[in-house]
Amino acid sequence: MPARLLALLLACVLPVATLADKRPTLNVYTHPSFASEWGPGPAVKTAFEAHCNCTLNYVVLDSGGDILQRLRLEGEHSKADVVLGLDTGTMEAARQTGLLASHDIPLQGLALPVDWSDDLFVPYDWGYFAFVYDTEQLPQPPASFEDLLAAPEDLKIIIQDPRTSTPGLGLLLWMRHIYGDQAAEKWAQLNKRILATTKSWSDGYFSLFMNGEAPMILSYSTSPAYHMAIDKTDRYQAAAFREGHYLQVEVAARVRSSGQPELGRTFLQFILTRDFQRHIPLKNVMYPVIELGEELPEVFSRLIKPTETRYFEPATVAEHRRAWLDEWLDAMTR
Amino acid sequence: MPESIRSSTPRHPDAPFSNPGWQLWPGLLLASLLLILAGGGLGALFWQAELPRVAVLWENRYLRNVLSFTLWQATLSVALSLLLALPVARALARQPCFPGRSLLLRLMELSLVVPTIVAVSGVVGVYGRQGWLTTLVNDWAPALSWNLYGINGIVLTHVFFNAPLAARILLQTLENVPQPQWRIASQLGLSSGWVWRALEWPALRPVLPGIAALIFTLCFTSFAIIMTLGGGPAATTLEVAIYQSLRFDFDFGRAALLATVQLLICGSVWWLASRRGMTHALVPGRQVAEQVPRKDGSGLRGLWDRLLLLTFTLFLIAPLAAVALRGLPGLVSTLTQSGSGGRLWDATLLSLAIAIPAGASSVLAALLVLASNGSTQKGIPGQISATAAYLPLMVPPLVLGTGLFLLLRPQLGVTSEGLILVGLINSIMALPFVLQMLRGPLRGLDIASIHQADQLGILGWYRWRWLHWPRMRRPFALAMAYATGLSLGDFGVIALFGSPEEPTIPVLLYQQLGSYQMAAAAGTGLWLITVLLAVFALFNLLGRPPATAHLREPEHA
Repeated sequence: MPARLLALLLACVLPVATLADKRPTLNVYTHPSFASEWGPGPAVKTAFEAHCNCTLNYVVLDSGGDILQRLRLEGEHSKADVVLGLDTGTMEAARQTGLLASHDIPLQGLALPVDWSDDLFVPYDWGYFAFVYDTEQLPQPPASFEDLLAAPEDLKIIIQDPRTSTPGLGLLLWMRHIYGDQAAEKWAQLNKRILATTKSWSDGYFSLFMNGEAPMILSYSTSPAYHMAIDKTDRYQAAAFREGHYLQVEVAARVRSSGQPELGRTFLQFILTRDFQRHIPLKNVMYPVIELGEELPEVFSRLIKPTETRYFEPATVAEHRRAWLDEWLDAMTR
Repeated sequence: MPESIRSSTPRHPDAPFSNPGWQLWPGLLLASLLLILAGGGLGALFWQAELPRVAVLWENRYLRNVLSFTLWQATLSVALSLLLALPVARALARQPCFPGRSLLLRLMELSLVVPTIVAVSGVVGVYGRQGWLTTLVNDWAPALSWNLYGINGIVLTHVFFNAPLAARILLQTLENVPQPQWRIASQLGLSSGWVWRALEWPALRPVLPGIAALIFTLCFTSFAIIMTLGGGPAATTLEVAIYQSLRFDFDFGRAALLATVQLLICGSVWWLASRRGMTHALVPGRQVAEQVPRKDGSGLRGLWDRLLLLTFTLFLIAPLAAVALRGLPGLVSTLTQSGSGGRLWDATLLSLAIAIPAGASSVLAALLVLASNGSTQKGIPGQISATAAYLPLMVPPLVLGTGLFLLLRPQLGVTSEGLILVGLINSIMALPFVLQMLRGPLRGLDIASIHQADQLGILGWYRWRWLHWPRMRRPFALAMAYATGLSLGDFGVIALFGSPEEPTIPVLLYQQLGSYQMAAAAGTGLWLITVLLAVFALFNLLGRPPATAHLREPEHA
C-alpha cells in the first residue's frame, strides 16, 4: 500500500524527465489522425527536423476539442509551444482563452475558398463536409438537401452528434447556413432519414457504414480520395449537393507561454511550405492550403467541386453554437 | 483475511501480518484515498465554476428526458440480463459435462472486456439492417420487422455485455455450494424446482443485489453504445450530457451537477444492494473432492439445459464471429507485412506491460478492501470501504480526470510517467468487478473452520496461505483475468492522459480508425480479442489446483 501511494505520488509530482538531447524541443499538441503512423505527422517531423536543429515532439490528445480543453486546463503552465488540430468550429473558443500568440506571418495567396487573414491561426488544411455514399447500394444519390429530405422512406443516413463530433457540428452549421431560422423544421424532417447519430466519425464509419448499415454517411468531400488512391476502389463517392457544402479549415497556432516563440513561428511558417503540405492530401485526406500543382494526387481531380461554399465566421459560430445546439436537440427530441 | 480475530485468542506474534490492524488499515486507507480522489475530482469542478442552479434538473425538458431515459434503459437492461443469466448459470451448474463448456465460459468472460467499438461492430454484423440474422428473420418472418436502432439495440448490446458477467458470477456462487448438500439433494431425488428453493436460491440471493447494482451502474453510465445504436439524441444518458458540458460547453458547474446526480442515483442503488445483504457470508462449506451427479440435470430438463446453453453460446459467439470474419483479411495482411506486424507486436507488449501490473494491483487492492470490510462489519469504516470501491464506476472518468487535472495542474506530465498513472487508474476502474468475484469466496469459509483456526493460532499470513488460498485460487485467477482484460481493452483512460508515442492495442485501433485504415482496424480488433482470450485461458490454467492423485477435478470454471 505505501508503495502504491508512493508510486502514485511519484507519477504525479516527478517533473517530466528532460531529454538529454541538447537541441531544443518543440512540443506540438495535436490529435491522433495527424500524429499517427498513417497521418502526416511522422513525415512532417522528419522534414522539419532536417532544417530546424530541434526535436519536434507530438503530444497526442483525443480530438481537437481535447486540445482546447487541455490548453484551458493547463493555462499559463502549458507545455505546448504550438497547437495543431483546432478548426473553424473551435478556434474562436481558443482565441477567447487569451492563451495564444499572434503569428505575424503574411497569409496572402492561400489556396482557400475563403479569404483568410487571421492574426492567431495559420490554416494547414481544409475540406468540405459531404455525404459519402456507397455506389453499390445507392446508384442515384440525392443531389441536394431538398432531395434528401424528400427521399423515399428506406433511404437512411448516418450522422455524427454535434455535441461530440466535429463533422456533427459541421452538419448543424451547414443546415443552419442554408435554412436559417427554418433549420429546426428541416431537422425534424431529416430525423426520419437518420439511422444513427454516433459519438464520433470513427464509430459511424467503422461500425455502421462499412458494415453496409446505411448507404450514406456524413463525412468529407475528400474521403473518396483515400478510397480511390489507397484502397483502389471507386465504390465510395461523395454526393454533391446543389445548396453548396460547408467548409472546415483546420488550423495551428502558437501558445503565448511558450519558451520558444521563434521556433514556434518557424514551424508555423513551415506549415505553409510544400514540405509540409505535400503530405496533406493523402495522409490527412484534406485539401492543402497552397497550390501543389503537379504534386496534388490525381484522384483529387475526381472529387466533387461544390458550387457554393457555406461558411460562418468563427466568431458567429462561437456566439450562437449553444443556442443552435439547443434548437437542434429540441427538434430531434420533440 | 476478513474474519475478525476473537479477543480470547492467544496471540502468536510470529505469524506475519497477524496484527488485526493489518486487516483494517490498508484497506481503509485505500478506500479513503478513493473517496478523496472522487471527492477531489468533483470538488475541483465545483470550485472552478460558479454554482449551477439545481432547479435546471427538473425545469429543463431535455435534462428531464435524459434522466428518465437513462433510468429506463438501465433498469430494463438489468432485468433482462438477470433473467437470462439465472437460467444459464443454473443450466451450467447442472451440466458439468456439457461439450464446449469451457469454451462457453471463456466466451462469457470475454464479452465484458471487449472494447465497445469492436463489440458494437460485431452486434451490427449480426442484428443490424444488413446483419445475417436480420436477413434470415426478414426472409422467414418478415412480420417481425426487427429494428436494431433504438432501445432494442441498446438493451440487446447491454445484455450481450452484462448477462455473461452475471451468469459467470452466479455460476461461481453455485459451484461454491458445498458438495454434501448437492449429494443430499441428489439422494432425495429433488426435482429442479425443489433444488432451486432449497439450495440454489438461498445461495444466489446474497449475491444478486450486488450483481444487479453492478450491471445497473454499467448501463447507467453507458456512452458509446447508446450513441451508436440509440438512433439519435432522444436516446441520451447522463454520461453523454456530462461529456457535452465538459468538452464542448466548458460548463464545469453543470458537469459537476450532473455528475453529482449520477453519483447519487448509482450510490443509492449500491447502498440498497449492500443493505440487502451483499456482505452476508455465503453458505459456508468445506470442499469435498468428488463430484456429485445432478439427478435434476437429466432427462427432459437436461435436454432443455443443453438447448439453452447452445442458444446462449450462439448469442455470444455470433457477434465475435462477425468480428473475426471481418478482421481476418486485415489481420493477415498486417501480420505478413514486416513493419506493421512488428508494430502490432510492440503494441501488444506495451498493453500487457500496463495491464498485468494493473490487474495485480487491482486484485491486491480488492483483498485489502474486503479485509477491512470484514474486520469492521457494521461500523462506519466498513461502510466507507464497502462503498468507496464502487466509486470508480459512478464518477465519469472525464470528470475525475478533469478534476484531478485542475488539482495537479502544473505537475502532471504527459510523457511516459503517464503510463504508470494509466495503469493505476485502470486498476481502480477494475476494482468493482474484482470485488464482486472475490467477495463471495472469501466470505465462504465456515464458522467451524474459523474457530478451529483461531484456536490453533493460524493467523495472518498462515491463515491466508492455508485456509483461504486453496479455495481462493480459482476466483483469484478469474478476478486477475478480468482486471487484466479490462485494462487491456481500455481506451478511455489512456486517451484522457494523452496517448504515448508508442500505442497500446486499443490506441492503435483508434489511430487506424482515424486514418481510414478500416481493414487494418478490423484486424487489430480481432487481434485484441485473440489476446484477451489468451489472457483468460492462461489465467484459467493458472487457477487450476495442482494435480493431486485423489483429487479428480470436473471440468470446472
